[in-house]
Amino acid sequence: MLTESTNQDDDEMMNQATNTQTLASVEPNSVENRYVINVSQGQTSLYVASTTGSEAASWNTYGVDNHFAENASFSNSTYHHVKHSEPSSRAVQDGSNATSLATSSTLGATDTQPDYGGYASYSNSSDPYSHGSTGYQGYYSGYQQQPNPSYSQPVGAYQNTGAPYQPISSFQNTGSYAGPTSYSSTYYNPGDYQTAGGYASSSYTHQTTTWNGGNYANYTTHHPYSNYAPDTSGTYSAGNAGANSMHYQQHYKQWAEYYNQTEVSCAPGTENLSVSSASTQVSQLPGVSGGYSTSNSQAPTTFATPWRPESSSSQTPLSQPGATVTGAYDSYWTNGAPTFQNQHPSPVQPLFVKALDTKYSYSNFQEQQNTACPQIPNLQYPMAQQAPQNYQPTAQTVQSSETQRLSKLQIQTNPRIASNLPLGLPKLDREGPNNGVISKPAYISVSQPKSSEKVLSNDATDSVIKAGVFPKSLKNYVQRALTQCKDEKQSAACQEIMKEIITKATNDGTIHTRDWDAEPLFQIPNTDMADKNSSQNPTPVSLFSKYKKSPTKRSKSRWEPLPEEKSVDKLGSLNNYAGKYSSKVHLDEKDRKPTGVNYEGKSDVMKKIRFPQMELKSASRTVQRQVKRQRLADATAADNGDASSDSDKEQNLTAYYSGAIMLADTPEERKRRENRSKRFEKVQGNRAESNHFKAKNAGTGNLYARRTTALVLSKSFEDDGSRAVEDIDWDSLTVKGTCQEIEKRYLRLTSAPDPSTVRPEEVLERALLMVQHSQKNYLYKCDQLKSIRQDLTVQRIRNHLTVKVYETHARSALEVGDLPEYNQCQSQLKILYAEGIDGCHMEFAAYNLLCVIMHSNNNRDLLSSMSRLSDEAKKDQAVQHALAVRAAVTSGNYVLFFRLYKTAPNLNACLMDLYVEKMRYKAVSCMSRSYRPQVPVSYIAQVLGFSSSTPTNEGSDEKDSDGLEDCVEWLKAHGACLVADSNGEMQLDSKASSSSLFMPDPEDAVAHGDASLAVNDFLTRTSL
Amino acid sequence: MAYPSMGEAHRRITDYLNNFSDAVSYQDVASLAQLFSFSSNSPPLLSVADALNFFQDANRLIKQSEKFSQYGEILAPLFRSLQSYRTGNLVDAYHAFEKFANAFIQEFRNWESAWALEALYVIAYEIRVLAERADRELASNGKSPEKLKGAGSFLMKVFGVLAGKGPKRVGALYVTCQLFKIYFKLGTVHLCRSVIRSIETARIFDFEEFPRRDKVTYMYYTGRLEVFNENFPAADHKLSYALTHCNPLREANIRMILKYLIPVKLSLGILPETSLLEKYNLLEYNNVVQALKRGDLRLLRHALQEHEDQFLRSGVYLVLEKLELQVYQRLVKKIYFIQKQKDPSKAHQLKLEVIVKALKWLEMDMDLDEVECIMTILIYKNLVKGYFAHKSKVVVLSKQDPFPKLNGKPVNS
Repeated sequence: MLTESTNQDDDEMMNQATNTQTLASVEPNSVENRYVINVSQGQTSLYVASTTGSEAASWNTYGVDNHFAENASFSNSTYHHVKHSEPSSRAVQDGSNATSLATSSTLGATDTQPDYGGYASYSNSSDPYSHGSTGYQGYYSGYQQQPNPSYSQPVGAYQNTGAPYQPISSFQNTGSYAGPTSYSSTYYNPGDYQTAGGYASSSYTHQTTTWNGGNYANYTTHHPYSNYAPDTSGTYSAGNAGANSMHYQQHYKQWAEYYNQTEVSCAPGTENLSVSSASTQVSQLPGVSGGYSTSNSQAPTTFATPWRPESSSSQTPLSQPGATVTGAYDSYWTNGAPTFQNQHPSPVQPLFVKALDTKYSYSNFQEQQNTACPQIPNLQYPMAQQAPQNYQPTAQTVQSSETQRLSKLQIQTNPRIASNLPLGLPKLDREGPNNGVISKPAYISVSQPKSSEKVLSNDATDSVIKAGVFPKSLKNYVQRALTQCKDEKQSAACQEIMKEIITKATNDGTIHTRDWDAEPLFQIPNTDMADKNSSQNPTPVSLFSKYKKSPTKRSKSRWEPLPEEKSVDKLGSLNNYAGKYSSKVHLDEKDRKPTGVNYEGKSDVMKKIRFPQMELKSASRTVQRQVKRQRLADATAADNGDASSDSDKEQNLTAYYSGAIMLADTPEERKRRENRSKRFEKVQGNRAESNHFKAKNAGTGNLYARRTTALVLSKSFEDDGSRAVEDIDWDSLTVKGTCQEIEKRYLRLTSAPDPSTVRPEEVLERALLMVQHSQKNYLYKCDQLKSIRQDLTVQRIRNHLTVKVYETHARSALEVGDLPEYNQCQSQLKILYAEGIDGCHMEFAAYNLLCVIMHSNNNRDLLSSMSRLSDEAKKDQAVQHALAVRAAVTSGNYVLFFRLYKTAPNLNACLMDLYVEKMRYKAVSCMSRSYRPQVPVSYIAQVLGFSSSTPTNEGSDEKDSDGLEDCVEWLKAHGACLVADSNGEMQLDSKASSSSLFMPDPEDAVAHGDASLAVNDFLTRTSL
Repeated sequence: MAYPSMGEAHRRITDYLNNFSDAVSYQDVASLAQLFSFSSNSPPLLSVADALNFFQDANRLIKQSEKFSQYGEILAPLFRSLQSYRTGNLVDAYHAFEKFANAFIQEFRNWESAWALEALYVIAYEIRVLAERADRELASNGKSPEKLKGAGSFLMKVFGVLAGKGPKRVGALYVTCQLFKIYFKLGTVHLCRSVIRSIETARIFDFEEFPRRDKVTYMYYTGRLEVFNENFPAADHKLSYALTHCNPLREANIRMILKYLIPVKLSLGILPETSLLEKYNLLEYNNVVQALKRGDLRLLRHALQEHEDQFLRSGVYLVLEKLELQVYQRLVKKIYFIQKQKDPSKAHQLKLEVIVKALKWLEMDMDLDEVECIMTILIYKNLVKGYFAHKSKVVVLSKQDPFPKLNGKPVNS
């Protein structure tokens, strides 16, 4: 923290100071330092290519502390650049952050469009910031309000940090985006400020304040922010006070690391965006920078310049890192934060992921600009590799000596950053021609992050595995994994996962023994999904990322199952990976409970594998959520408004904007997410940690996500204009279930269905059998049948099984008199029968008839349903019975009615049951009018079906006596006058009764008219 | 078919345009209406259609002169509709006709006087008929028939145009009747309610002011609605109104009215002459009437079974079924008379066994309980005056008027 503070104090000086500071800080946390180094290296390498020496130098300085020895020369050059450029670069970074945020939020952003969306969103979020401190304050306050202040802080940090990340994303998109630059510049400043605030809060409140001041000084233009910073710090401090602060801080630190990395990566992007700034900074390569902004080909050159600034920022990162990263990682934060709370390891993962993402994006960018860059990467990479190695040792030493005492937080942050950096390197390696060389660093970085995490958790344990420790194969593996990632999020997620894997491997000592080359790649979790799932699982974003890779194709490809050539190819592989990953995840789970979060990814992965679209959906869903959150947010409302307006402006810039808005992370959204994740944590608590976090929750989340995505999809189509809703391939959206569970509770879908929670037909068949033979009560059966019906519906299965299910449900509903449910089934059955699917057509025709007779009291309906009966149907016993019942009802022939009642086939009696009361009342009023002087109750009981005996065998007295008592009770309840005759037999005094009969209110009547809505009943239902 | 020459086609189309323009300018509604009456299949109209199909570029002719081009929005779709109609493409014809009709009512709105009402009637009629035919075409192609529904909403719009204070309001009932036809055909009878309400309650409408034929049609349909509701007195009133005001030469219309009026009258205890049934070919009611006269339950049931489909479709099945109680009443009455002949002093005590035996002769196999139930229902519904003594299983009839006649009142329910 101290280092950070110093950096803040002198903006220009910051770079230098940071270098020194970072060194110091790095030292404490060896891990962190390493990360930093890695990152810096990776970044530098990339950038260096363009800028060559100077940039590299700057990087070194940043990452620096660790690498210094190796890259010392570079660092010097960069230093100067950095200093000058920093402000501008920062601004750029901010912009980039914004973009990255957007991308991260969008998830779906596989294509450039998402990125754009991110931009837009970002602008929204950023706008509030830039516009005024008030918005920010509100935001912060909102955070504070949240139970976990620490969380809120991270969020803020994320936002800031987001900037760096965004650059990466911007990089990918850079070619397409010329305009965004302006954005970035405006946003940057705010972003930085925020980060500073966030940082301070997270790690060291006091220090933070100082930091803020420093930052502000630098960015005088952003006065509001300065105000803001204090506020945030205050809030943060509160958060720190919390017991959880420690963990969080650690997390934050990690985040910060990420951010640093991201910043580095972002820097290029930022440069691109803020061409002007870049050019000034990059005095060496001004022309390049300018070109960058304009076009991809130019971009490479610009890269170098941007990088330098970035590197400066990255140095700052230690101080700034959190800030820069935050923006991009808001989503991350949300994900990460929740996870953090629950599980320490999980937080780390998110960070990791982020780092990966950044790298990835970067790689993409490079790819785009391949021709220009290749040389650079080579140079850079070697640097990076070396750096890590060197770094580690230093870091370790540092840790032992200084750190712990000063502040765990700082240390942590550094490690995190470092971890991010290493991750970034791998990506770079990939991209670059010199993969092998690069890969090593990447590898190291990955392993280090894990170790750092552990360290963080343990504080004391600094034991860091040296870069050299990791086998080459592992490095390659990491590279492979990283290449998977298309965007920052993915790469971040990927990093996270890899961290886990590697830490796990190191833990059980298999890291050297494992055949990493043969190791299946995991699927990259979808960060958005993770958000949704809250803490539980970072969802794989990989699919998205793939889509995203091709910048030009963008939005369209998104929704298409196989958007683009590349994406298609990759998809297949991704799917495979995903599957494997999921399996891996399982293993991990077994090993570590805390990682449970990741495992949700499984289901997600599965889904993704089968339905690449689903991922998209999830992304969109997140967007929706965000929207929701926005609505909900009270304090932030103003901010939102600003944001939206800004976004509107931006819309013009980007055609894709519409989607983007939704996706964009606004501060409120982040808060909400955090809250949500917290909520989950609270509720599930240990459960989440344990391997079995509820499948249900995951499922529902996924389902929700899907549906929302579907909605969003359609919406986006509309917005797009280029795509009509009809163009959506709904068939491809049809779910094919994979769930093998026979029993499944019904949950009304609020989103697209999740294949992993949907049962395929065979399973449904067994489920139906299970229900049919179940001894449990109706509520259970109804629940089960509804879930079966739902699964059938979402899979669009319409065959004999469907009919059977509906018939079964209709019957069981009839048995208990659940008419609403029965009517649902009946109407479905009508359609199914009309489609020519066999079933108990006649039986249900009879039911239908009875239903109309008894309950609709509509002659036209009755006539039409009678006239629709075929001759064949009229010969059916059940239908004939129903018709006879109808005749009895219309004529009021109670004797016939109760006779038919006793001989009713199928469940006709159940329907008649519902009319019995009315019929009896009518009968008794008729009797009391017609009979004189008396009617024996025994006769009434017999005629009105109270006794089970038929009129011909009245001999069975025992049964009759029961029926008699019932009848007496019923008559009394209805106001009949009963008298005993000379023989002691009960008689109905018809004359007296004729005026006293009444229909009692049903006992189960409730004020709202529907007894099934009664509280008690509801409770019994839910408890099942 | 021999196509006319180009000049001939040109001449025919121009004639048609001239006719239209003249009819509008002279407010000659008769000739105007003729121009729209597709379903009349009049030779001049068909020849114009042929000419249009041959000439193809009729729009140029419309634009040629200011006289025609001011009605371009009316005439262009009208020509298109006519062309499609002639070539048998009824769906297209409907679409174009609806466009034409919309343009026409737009113009109609601007005309102060109601001179063009007859033409509007023709349009309302044609659009309904065209929609029905288009629906048939759609259904045969496996598509969902929805044109009639569309025609319904168009006519509602027309109703809105007419339902005002001006002289055009007398046309509202015609449109209402076309709407009834559509709604009854579609089975969306509930939609009638809003139109009925505005006809019967709006101050601007004086029912007697409407043309007689519309009033008859209106009463017929609203009477049918009352039959559905089993509101027999109201149904009787409306259908009787329709019957008495109906043009006596329109036997088909009279038959349609009687088809509903007879069951209504029967349920009020009023039986028709057999000659009436014969005259209007309503012999399906003959056995029902006979059963009522004789108290022959078996005959009634047979009659119902025989014409079940018919009765169900027309919606009088349930009404006729309810006549059963009257048949029982008649049967009991007959038994009473026979008993009275044998032993007047005990005539008012009807043993249940006797009734059961009588029913057995009618091949109605019912046991004591069931018959007892029916007797109590008869007493309850006031078809029989008296009481039932359960102990002795005897129906004790009132000595005064034991079998009250309905005399136009519905059976108690």
